[in-house]
Amino acid sequence: MERKKVENTYITHPSYKDKFRPQPVKEILREVLTAKLDQAQYHADQTPVLTKAVADEVKDRLKELHLPRYKLIVQVVIGEQRGQGVRVGSRCFWDGDTDTCVSEVYRNETLFCVATAYGIYVY
Amino acid sequence: MDDEGENEFVTEQVQEIAKHAINSTLTNVTYTREKVNQWCQQIIDSCLKELSKLDKPFKYCVTCIIMQKNGAPLHTAATAFWDTKTDGLCCMQVGNDTMDCIVTIYAMQI
Repeated sequence: MERKKVENTYITHPSYKDKFRPQPVKEILREVLTAKLDQAQYHADQTPVLTKAVADEVKDRLKELHLPRYKLIVQVVIGEQRGQGVRVGSRCFWDGDTDTCVSEVYRNETLFCVATAYGIYVY
Repeated sequence: MDDEGENEFVTEQVQEIAKHAINSTLTNVTYTREKVNQWCQQIIDSCLKELSKLDKPFKYCVTCIIMQKNGAPLHTAATAFWDTKTDGLCCMQVGNDTMDCIVTIYAMQI
């Protein structure tokens, strides 16, 4: 098969309007979490499915932002609230100018949810 | 773009790094609220340090979840929109008597 040749673009930074901005992403996270988890109760069978559904939904919504050359990662953690201690931490080894991470926490009576979205720029 | 061999993401290698980082921090300790921040940071730090020593053209994301054990369940899900040929993720779960620790490492080739 013939391989398509692509010229080097020498683009090392996203243009101003195509940057991955924390604010709209945070709003998306909040919207999706409230929509999906507002009525949700913790249920051993359904919650794993719900976790995946939330992650997929967030990813699809992020794709709709049409940020060219950005790779996206979405991580969702859902646990039952039983008064236990939980610590979620995250650090990255990347280009702080172009790459961003946004996190949002949601809680109701039976469960807590931490959703984190990362945007990584491809040079 | 699609490098063979040396510059690949090797899951086993990264998994070893994560396992070592968790084990060196969390063996023979019990869950303490004051210490958990420090442990979390320590685990992530040592993971990133080892990963950067691999000298591969990757950007890394490391997340660490430490949860006290009291029978409560926890679910995690990860989705990614990236190049499956070059990028990868690896997940490591280690638990002791009082807590569970899950470390997830994402690697994106530059």
